[in-house]
Amino acid sequence: MISFNQVTKRYPGGHEALSSINLVIEKGELVFLTGHSGAGKSTLLKLIAAIERPTSGVVSVNGQNISRLSQRAVPYLRRNIGLVFQDHKLLFDRTVIENVVLPLDIAGFDRREALKRARAVIDKVGLLNREKSNPVSLSGGEQQRLCIARALVSRPALLLADEPTGNLDAGYAADIMAMFRDFHQVGTTLVIATHDDRAISALGGRTLHLDHGKITEGAA
Amino acid sequence: MKHWLRHQKHALTTALRRLLSQPVVTLLTALAMGVAISLPSALYLMLGNLNRLAGDLPAQPEISLFLAADVTPVQKSLIAARLKQADIAQARHIPKEQALTALSASQDLADITAGLTENPLPDAWVVRPQASTPEALTHLASELGKLPGVAETQLDSQWIERLQAALAIGRTGVWLLGGLLAIALMAISSNAIRARVLTRRDEIHVSHLIGATDRYIRRPFMYLGALQGLLGGLAAGVVLALAGGMLHAPVAHLSSLYGASFQLLPPAGTEIAIVLAITTLTGWLGAWVAATRTLHQTSAPR
Ligand SMILES: Nc1ncnc2c1ncn2[C@@H]1O[C@H](COP(=O)(O)OP(=O)(O)OP(=O)(O)O)[C@@H](O)[C@H]1O
Ligand SMILES: [Mg+2]
Repeated sequence: MISFNQVTKRYPGGHEALSSINLVIEKGELVFLTGHSGAGKSTLLKLIAAIERPTSGVVSVNGQNISRLSQRAVPYLRRNIGLVFQDHKLLFDRTVIENVVLPLDIAGFDRREALKRARAVIDKVGLLNREKSNPVSLSGGEQQRLCIARALVSRPALLLADEPTGNLDAGYAADIMAMFRDFHQVGTTLVIATHDDRAISALGGRTLHLDHGKITEGAA
Repeated sequence: MKHWLRHQKHALTTALRRLLSQPVVTLLTALAMGVAISLPSALYLMLGNLNRLAGDLPAQPEISLFLAADVTPVQKSLIAARLKQADIAQARHIPKEQALTALSASQDLADITAGLTENPLPDAWVVRPQASTPEALTHLASELGKLPGVAETQLDSQWIERLQAALAIGRTGVWLLGGLLAIALMAISSNAIRARVLTRRDEIHVSHLIGATDRYIRRPFMYLGALQGLLGGLAAGVVLALAGGMLHAPVAHLSSLYGASFQLLPPAGTEIAIVLAITTLTGWLGAWVAATRTLHQTSAPR
């Protein structure tokens, strides 16, 4: 489903965030991405979602070469990917539910169906009583859960989560990880960047360890 | 198709919400547009009314022929024969004696005519031609002027002709002014939309990240531009209606002084519809330009 072939990413300014990465992630796999801060975890996820383009090498997703993908094709690639951002990227000019409905609006869903689905996901992440609140009024952990709800609402085939449990206490972190496991069990491919060793050991799956932009594959 | 309709509906409601979320900005922009549009529209209406006035006044143009003092009887009968032809609707002969009598009848001139030893007035014809177009009239007048024994011709409709010429210039002016202000309109719309796009940078960025196309992002802004243009057109309507209301009484007074009952005509329904369509369209176009340009500047991947 995802493959990196000799992928190097150098940011403007010359910093090499990823060096000659080779990896293959199969459809339906659950992969954890670990490594120190600045190791290049977020960069790797951004390359998959075509948010960044590789400096050299080939990133392919679903058989599509991401660096050759035209600007017009990028939105359709992203609609099949659920993105949980490290910095949440919520919109503070609308309610919780409107944030969650956004991906469905973009995909052209019927409004009523979209709201129904959004409410179901919001319930799953435990925010149903905050449905009408503004995200500003949510705590850091709640904002994170909202971001996860937005990523899950369109039931993507591929979920990329950047530190999804970073701000959550153990209880919620376990809940979120359980959700991820459910998704994994119905065939969703997940790539999760995390420091949370407990989650990794609880869920099992493969671990990719990044060190200064180089990959060292860990045991399952 | 269903998706498309949903997207349009969604964009329209989003646009309406954004319009209402900044009522003062919306109002000021509409006002700026309204004033810009009302200038050529007012000129257009004024010309229409003047044109009507010009059309009303000289029901039938007349040509006066003044004969030379030394005209011979043969020339006179030739002239009379020419004036019986088909292109002349009616010709009235005014012998110089009759003209003098008419002059003496008016009190102010009686003293003067009484002192005359001989009649200085020429024989004259007042001719009413069949044709009424300015070209045909001047042509006929110059032809009659060349008849032997005719000293001078005078086209009584000359001032109408001049007015028509002035109106033609005015009409060209309306188009010119209209074109220039359409450009100004687009600039106003484009600026207003650009400001709104910039305040929604985050939303645009996030939407891009979760799979929105440029078209999806642009669409509400284009509806916004169109609605803004429509509001501008309506504002122009209000400005013109106010101006018309203020002019109503003075125009009625003026026309009563001339013993006429001239009234300002409001624009026709189709004219209003055309202006609204044009302002809507220019608002939409301006929004397209602004949204496209601003999107390219803001959507650089981070
Ligand atoms: N937009 C950018 N411009 C320049 N340098 C960048 C940019 N984004 C990331 N970097 C650099 O690339 C390196 C990898 O960054 P990245 O965000 O991928 O790390 P990370 O593993 O996600 O770290 P963290 O655990 O702190 O989130 C870092 O040294 C960072 O400073
Ligand atoms: Mg990171």
